[in-house]
Amino acid sequence: MDERFGQRVGVVALHVVVISGALLTVAPIAFMIFSSFNTTTEIFTLPPWLPPAEWSFKNYETLLTKWPFPYWYINSIIYAGVVTVFVLFFCSLAGFAFAKYNFRAKNALFIILIGSTMIPFQLILIPLFILMSRIDWINHPASMIIPWMAPAFGIFLMRQYIQAVPSELMESARIHGASEFRIYARIIDPMVRTGLTTLAILTFLGSWNSYIWPLMVLRGNRVITLPVGIATMRSQATAAQVPYGEMMAAASMVSVPVILLFLMLQRYFISGLTIGAVKG
Amino acid sequence: MFQAAVARGREAREGGGFHQHRLAPYAFISPFYLLFGFFFLAPSLIALVLSLFRWDGINDPRFVFARNYGRLVSDKVFAQAATNTAVYAIASLFIVIPLALVLAVLLNAKSLRFSSVWRAMYFTPIVTSTVAITLVFQILYDRDVGLLNAPLIYLGLEPIHWLGDRSWVKVAIIILITWRSTGLLSIYFLAGLQSIPEELYEAASIDGASTLQKLFRITIPMLRPIILFVSIIVLLSSIQIFDEIQILTNGSGGPANASMSVVQYLYVRGFTRLRLGFASAVGTVLFATVFILSLIQLQWYGVFRKED
Repeated sequence: MDERFGQRVGVVALHVVVISGALLTVAPIAFMIFSSFNTTTEIFTLPPWLPPAEWSFKNYETLLTKWPFPYWYINSIIYAGVVTVFVLFFCSLAGFAFAKYNFRAKNALFIILIGSTMIPFQLILIPLFILMSRIDWINHPASMIIPWMAPAFGIFLMRQYIQAVPSELMESARIHGASEFRIYARIIDPMVRTGLTTLAILTFLGSWNSYIWPLMVLRGNRVITLPVGIATMRSQATAAQVPYGEMMAAASMVSVPVILLFLMLQRYFISGLTIGAVKG
Repeated sequence: MFQAAVARGREAREGGGFHQHRLAPYAFISPFYLLFGFFFLAPSLIALVLSLFRWDGINDPRFVFARNYGRLVSDKVFAQAATNTAVYAIASLFIVIPLALVLAVLLNAKSLRFSSVWRAMYFTPIVTSTVAITLVFQILYDRDVGLLNAPLIYLGLEPIHWLGDRSWVKVAIIILITWRSTGLLSIYFLAGLQSIPEELYEAASIDGASTLQKLFRITIPMLRPIILFVSIIVLLSSIQIFDEIQILTNGSGGPANASMSVVQYLYVRGFTRLRLGFASAVGTVLFATVFILSLIQLQWYGVFRKED
């Protein structure tokens, strides 16, 4: 009897700890969303984070009229979308080659691939920026897309998924005279939809949230991306008149869609993060 | 019959009629090597060379050999930035990792109901834009009206100057890091927990082991490889921390450089003050650090082991 009581206390305690931690984790996000429907003065009224007494869309209105917010949004969607399409193509193609072919210097090339992840972005920040200005890619969409089209981690990820596809399928396609590219397009790609979805999510998200690179290469109010735009709202304001309400509206519009996307596609996201991390 | 067909296919290939088969993999991997060579490898080499020069990006670069590095070593602000970065790394290692481990164990408990709901809540910070959420934290940290000081003000105590005090600003950043990465790291631990055989716990229960004993005697030892893996991820990402501090301190790394990280130092020297050679030297030092840590990580991955 006592033991069972102890167990029940343990279960209750477990739930209390887990749930309060979970609430604490989403609290800043809730604060952000609630604040976006509040005026700036109300955000700073104590207790500040409760749902607004009156839900007002004024911040959103101002955001759309006073700031080039729609441009930022469209820019971010285009950059992230285009990068994702290229990444899916190039990474699955290269992942296919590493998973299913034996070719000369394969091991050496693979070590270069993995080794490339050791170059911290900050090392090349300055020379890459200089390169961009030399080839006139500052403020050019190419700088946001072309260097990022074939990340090593994506190739590694796709290689892991493609390795699991039975090689016999390829062999029989070859006998029927399929070209290597056709094998990739018709047999491999449809078999690794999970991997492609995972890679798409991780890539889109990485591009959507990236800050330092677009901050450096994009100039001008209408060509920047969302994160840079929101940071600009903050840095352009005078200390006394930071448009907090509008900033929170913008922050909500950046975050809420990807959070919803994440909730729907969680399992892909998690498999992408853990693949390779747990050795089989 | 199928096997016979496969064998025939092999014959045909080895007969030399399949040049396409030989060349295809090179064609498939070439985009990566072209992009990597042009946009990453070449700039890296340029950075290494540039670190030996003095250059403002406008006038001709002047060769100064190792003087940039000499200056770096004696620069007080760099020492401060390196110390701060080390503080972030150590805090991440000793606060975030244990928290994430405990969180994973709790989320993995069989008696936990609606576990997928709580998991989803813990994982949301991973996908939230750093810029967006850092601006939220900036409001929460406000000295006079921020939510975090609300209880202190309510009790009539002195409010904390989160972003204006040399020590508290580091605490503020560590809280933000903890908020952002605990859920992410717990995903790795959760994946690791799945691989621990259930029988170990059953056997321990029969021997009358307590929950804590199971944690320290079974879970943690079994997760050791994952803990190492996660530690290196954490070290690598805290060494490269930039966005959070840049936004939270409005680009200053202040007060008085008390929160500045190494990358922010590089950014300011390189882009604000146009000391491109010097900033490249900072980048090279970062690279050396990351390189060594990555080697350890790759060793762990087993990438250098020859595949059979």
